Amino acid sequence: MAVIVAILVVAFVAGVFGSMLGVGGGVIMVPVLSLAFGVPIKTAIATSIVCVIATSSMAQSTFAARGMTNMRLGMVLEVATTLGAVAGGITAVLVDGRVLQAAFAVVLFYVAWQMSRRRGDIVPAETALMPSSYYDPAEGRQVTYGVHGLGLGFGLSIVAGNVSGLLGVGGGAFKVPIMNLLMGVPLKATIATSNLMIGVTAATGAAIFYGRGYMDPYWAVPAALGILAGARLGPRLAIRLPSRVLIIVFEIVLAVFGVLMLLKALGVGV
Amino acid sequence: MNGDRPGGASGGPVPGGPAAHVMEPIERMVSRVLKAGIAIAVALMAVGLVLSVFDKEGMPSHVVPLADLPALLGQFDPAAYLSLGLMVLIATPFVRVAGSIIAFARERDLRYVLVTAIVFTVMCLSVVLGKA
Repeated sequence: MAVIVAILVVAFVAGVFGSMLGVGGGVIMVPVLSLAFGVPIKTAIATSIVCVIATSSMAQSTFAARGMTNMRLGMVLEVATTLGAVAGGITAVLVDGRVLQAAFAVVLFYVAWQMSRRRGDIVPAETALMPSSYYDPAEGRQVTYGVHGLGLGFGLSIVAGNVSGLLGVGGGAFKVPIMNLLMGVPLKATIATSNLMIGVTAATGAAIFYGRGYMDPYWAVPAALGILAGARLGPRLAIRLPSRVLIIVFEIVLAVFGVLMLLKALGVGV
Repeated sequence: MNGDRPGGASGGPVPGGPAAHVMEPIERMVSRVLKAGIAIAVALMAVGLVLSVFDKEGMPSHVVPLADLPALLGQFDPAAYLSLGLMVLIATPFVRVAGSIIAFARERDLRYVLVTAIVFTVMCLSVVLGKA
């Protein structure tokens, strides 16, 4: 019983941060489950994938109601991430897992550095491509923007889907910087759109894990319930907080995530 | 084809505040599917949790294969209800993408019917490939 309560609490926190930043709760859930609770790694990953789906579904009802999610951009980039994830098996044969983890860590540090170089969110440009508009209560104004660099963003999303399909984590950590830094999508719309997209890749992964018998309701059910509660709060925080605060939190999460990946690549047990 | 309509076009940018957004049909569809999915999944998990409290074996640590599900649900097996709850949660994004195909088709937005149909096909394909 105490274990179930502990999982609920951890999952709640993971749900808040995962939905607030658009990265899903998996970043927190996998290491906590495997290190603190001694859950076998495959079960921990299966549980964390369920958490990502729960985050995505719950957070979306808040973001979509505010018009923050760029549905069309999300659906176009989902083509790229799902194709990339399917191709993950091919990459697994070609590249050593540790090399991939190390490269992943380096990219995370680079992205964190790039984001910290600007002192705030991007300045939105009103292009004709997938234009969208939402009200930002933190700034007290309507933010209107259009997308650019769709080709580059699509290409990099294939890579992001591929890597996250291989490593089981990290899709959102890439999707957010790709949309925000390269495609001109304001941070809050990026977080909302990434939140929509992560559910798709996670659902396919979860279906596969379920079929192979790695899903364990003892961990997955309390984790999902805790995540759902947290993911009700997270989007509300994301909507109200100023973008620069979200950027700082995102950088910290990326840096921690990068260190964990690096340790993993070096063979230190995480 | 009006594939690139602004998100808030139907309501227009109303400066009144956060509640002023009027959802597009596609946003409504996505929102409804996800909310329903969560509600059903949580209800099933709650039933499973209550049943597990009264079960001698307590909280189960295995999921039930799809084929055994109907029989075990009838026997009020906690693992069956918890498994079905997880299945509904996992199935929700699939239904969301399938629902998006319908929503775009209703708007005669053929470009996005194609886009979402590709996503749905690749999702199903990767589940089939993953099982192999």
